[in-house]
Parts: sequence; structure tokens; C-alpha cells
Amino acid sequence: MSDFDLTTIYFILAESMGMWLWALAGLAVVLGIGIIAGIMRLRTAGRPAKRPATAALIAGGVATAIFIFLVPVWTSTSAGALAAPVDYLFAVLFALVPGSMVGALVFFLAANRCAAKHRSILKSA
Amino acid sequence: MERRQFLVGAAALASVGLGTQAAQAQTSDSRARIVIAGAGAAGLALASRLRRAMPNATITIIDAKKEHHFQPGFTLVGAGVWSPAQVTERNVDYMPRGVEWVEAAVAEFDPEANAVVTTTGQRIDYDFLMVATGLKLNYEAIEGMDVSLIGENGIASIYAGPEQARASAAAIDRFIDTGGVGLFGRPAGEMKCAGAPLKITFITDDKARSKTRRGAVELIYNAHNPAVFSVAAVNDKVTDMFAGRDIAVNYSHVLKAIDPGAKQATYATDSGDITLDYDFIHVVPPMRAPDAVLASPLPWQDGALAADGWIEADRATLRHPRYPNVFAVGDIAGVPRGKTAASVKWQVPVVVDNLVAETAGRAPQAVYNGYTSCPMVTGIGKAMLIEFDYDGNLIPSFPFIDPLKELWVSWLIEEKGLLGAYRAMLRGRA
Repeated sequence: MSDFDLTTIYFILAESMGMWLWALAGLAVVLGIGIIAGIMRLRTAGRPAKRPATAALIAGGVATAIFIFLVPVWTSTSAGALAAPVDYLFAVLFALVPGSMVGALVFFLAANRCAAKHRSILKSA
Repeated sequence: MERRQFLVGAAALASVGLGTQAAQAQTSDSRARIVIAGAGAAGLALASRLRRAMPNATITIIDAKKEHHFQPGFTLVGAGVWSPAQVTERNVDYMPRGVEWVEAAVAEFDPEANAVVTTTGQRIDYDFLMVATGLKLNYEAIEGMDVSLIGENGIASIYAGPEQARASAAAIDRFIDTGGVGLFGRPAGEMKCAGAPLKITFITDDKARSKTRRGAVELIYNAHNPAVFSVAAVNDKVTDMFAGRDIAVNYSHVLKAIDPGAKQATYATDSGDITLDYDFIHVVPPMRAPDAVLASPLPWQDGALAADGWIEADRATLRHPRYPNVFAVGDIAGVPRGKTAASVKWQVPVVVDNLVAETAGRAPQAVYNGYTSCPMVTGIGKAMLIEFDYDGNLIPSFPFIDPLKELWVSWLIEEKGLLGAYRAMLRGRA
């Protein structure tokens, strides 16, 4: 594995994915900004991040679990092809990509909702 | 030769005189004229790396072919998993800037005069020559066989090209639907991707099982010698797998003739010729050097690699022993094993590093250990990632992957990873 340095991996990914690599990176940045924005809104509203984080973990976990069995389909085969622990490990790692995106999106939405709900309670009080 | 020696000497003096040896560890200011014969995997990878490492050199690449094929993907096309478009690209998209592309084939090698002559009559002088012509698929050496027969009368062959690989996939499907005897095998001499004949056997078995038609087909693998694979550990594993999957093996059977009308194949064996009936046959052609190489003084003059015209080369440096300014890279190199894209990936940096070192006045030190790789597809969705060296030692790149175990993660690398790695290699980035 000595020749698989970060630069080489970048070029292999870039050649494999083309524009999709940048689309995915852009989406990750947008979702990252969404998470930070959600945390800031919760702080401004004085609300804990526990409930949005829990919702994000559950949604992300469910999405990851579903995608574990879809990853083999992406490789032109079926979930039955997963045979060894290392197969499952890599299926989980790949499924974590959409899983973490779903989790980030749910956190952003739940944090905003939580903060907005708190503000409306304060207004009505 | 005089000009080359002058360039090397001048570069060495300049390097010592300016005290820049350390600073130029990976580059050379040499103005050498480098000719690369062939724009396949090895030729393009060489051009890309040399362009960056030797910015003042004049680099010329000679090849008439405009299309570029990702040949490791032919197996997946033959399996019906990929389309021909997924393995077909354009050479122009990988041609590095600052490299002159002569769109002709090399008609003549003249290493005594340090020149090549193209099919258009152009004479090109060089200081260093990289021969990366690839090889010739010699279907004509099998009596009665012709490329145009692929896809007809139960004849398949994934080697000839993407369309022939697709036609082979259709032939496999028809064979499974109709049933009968399927013959597989490989030629006696050196060949590219020696695992492919085994892969296509496994794939046919797997597809027949998926369609619950395995009982309707009889599969026979005709090994060219007393083993199905040259690496002992892999041979033992594949032999066990064939036995477990009811795939019969005939040893020391080499296909010499085919009768498409009668659906009969004749094999040379230790006890004379024998003829087998078939309903399906996967033909792997004998392979040899292209005509221009064969007619030149470059091939081995004696030994096992001489008959088919493989270029004489030091197995550690790929440098020609009789013409030290000539290197052979990729399929054409007369070294044991090493006719895969994975071999090219390891050969090219060795040749480039050594040339850069030499023209910068340093001692060449890079060594090629014979690394090659065969992602042995054993069914749709599973493979064994087999990597080995000249001595047949298994040398896995990934410690978490057992090379002799059928894994989806190995299939993942084959189906999703190799093309990107190959393209990065063509650009000299992997």
C-alpha cells in the first residue's frame, strides 16, 4: 500500500468519478455549513443539540443500513455477494457516505425546527 | 550512440558542476530525444511521466491507433456486466502536452543507427527508445480460426476487442440457454492477462448457476501444460475450485485448429492430436511480437522468449542488454510474466526514474520486481485479488484482503477501482 499516498488516491478518485467528485465535495461542504448553521441557531435560541443530534443519528443510521445492501447493486451485483467481514466493512464505509449526508440534512432541518419552535414559544409567552 | 553518451556525460558534468544533484533528484534537464513506440497503456504512461520529469527533452510518441481500450475491462464486457463504451476511450485525451504524436505505426526499428521508420516513411532519430508496441493477437495461428467468427457458431473470444467481447457475452448466454459442451483454455506461449481464460470459465459457470442451467452445460478447461496457473498457490486454489464446481480439466492441451461448421476443436497433446466436439468454445489466440519488432534485431536471439519475438530486456531494469539506449515496457518486454496493465503501472516508474537518474548524472537504482496482478473474477460479484512477483511470491497490496479468498471487496476493486487507477496511470499520476 506504500504507493497509495493521498495524492495518488486523489488522482484515482478524480479519474474514477470525474465531475461527480466535485459535486460530492460541494454537497459535503454545503451540508457541513448546514450543520454549523444549525448549531449556531440552536445556541442563539439557547437550545441543546441533543434532540436534533439524536434524530440525525437515527436517520443517518437507517440510511446507512439501507445503503449497505444497495452498495453491491452499485457494483453490478446483489447484496448476496457480501460474504466476509471485510466485505461488510467496506460496504458500511461506502454506505456511510449517503448515510452521513442524510444525517447531516436531518440535523440541519431538526435544529432549525427546534430553534424556530423555541422562538415561537418565547414570542407567545 | 555517440550523441547519447555525449548527452549523458554533459548532463553529469553539469549536475556536478552546478551542485544541483540533490535539487534535481526527480528531474533531468537533459535535452535528449526520446521516442516512444506505441501509445497504449505503457506508451502513454511513459510519455506522461517523462514529460514532467524531463521538461527539456524532445518526446515523440508513434502510434496510428486513435482509440484507446481499457483492456482489463474486456472480461467484464465478456461477462455482460459492462458495455464496450465503458472500455473505449481516445488516445488524444491522454496525450500529454508537449509530446509530439506521430500518427503512424513503426515499420522498422534500426537500433544500430538509433532510428525508427514509420509506415508513412518518416525516419525519426532518437537518443533513447522506449518500445511499448504491445503485442499481436495471432488468431491466424489456429487453423480455421478468424476474428470474424467471434460470436458465431458458439465461438467466443474476449481478447480481440470490445465488440468481440460483447459478442462473446451473447455467445455465452446462448450456450447456457441451449446447453452442451463448453471448451476453455489458453495458448502455450506468453500471453497478456493469463488469468482471463480462467475468469471467463468461472463466469460461464456462475452465469449458468444463476440461470439454474448448470446441469445442462459441461465445462472443460484445457490447460496448456500440467497446471492451470503458473503460481503454485493460485494453481492449487483454482484447481480445487474447478473440482468443486464440476469444471473438468485436461492438461497439456493446446488448441491448434478449429472447425466452426462441425463445431470441433483439435488440440495438440503429449500423446498426439485429439479432436473434441463443442457447443461453445472460448478461443484465446497465441500472442507474439508485432511484425516490425519481430523483423528487427531487438528480440531475444535464443531461449524461450525468442520464438515469439519478445524484446530482450534485463528483467530488473527493462533495459536492452545489446542496445543500452533501448527499453522495452509492457506486453512487448521479454521478461517472465508481466503482461498486464498492473505490470505497466510498476514498470514505467522504474524505467523513467532510471532514465532521469542516468541523464542527470546519477546512478540508476530503480528495480522492477516482476509485480503483476490478476483480479481473478470467480463469478459476478466476487473475485480474488491475486498479486505476485517474478518468483511467484504472493505480494498483496492490501493487508486486509486475502488474495486466495473470493471476496466482494476484490470485485469492488475490479469493477469500480481499476479504471480510475488505470486512467491515473496513463496521466503518470499512479
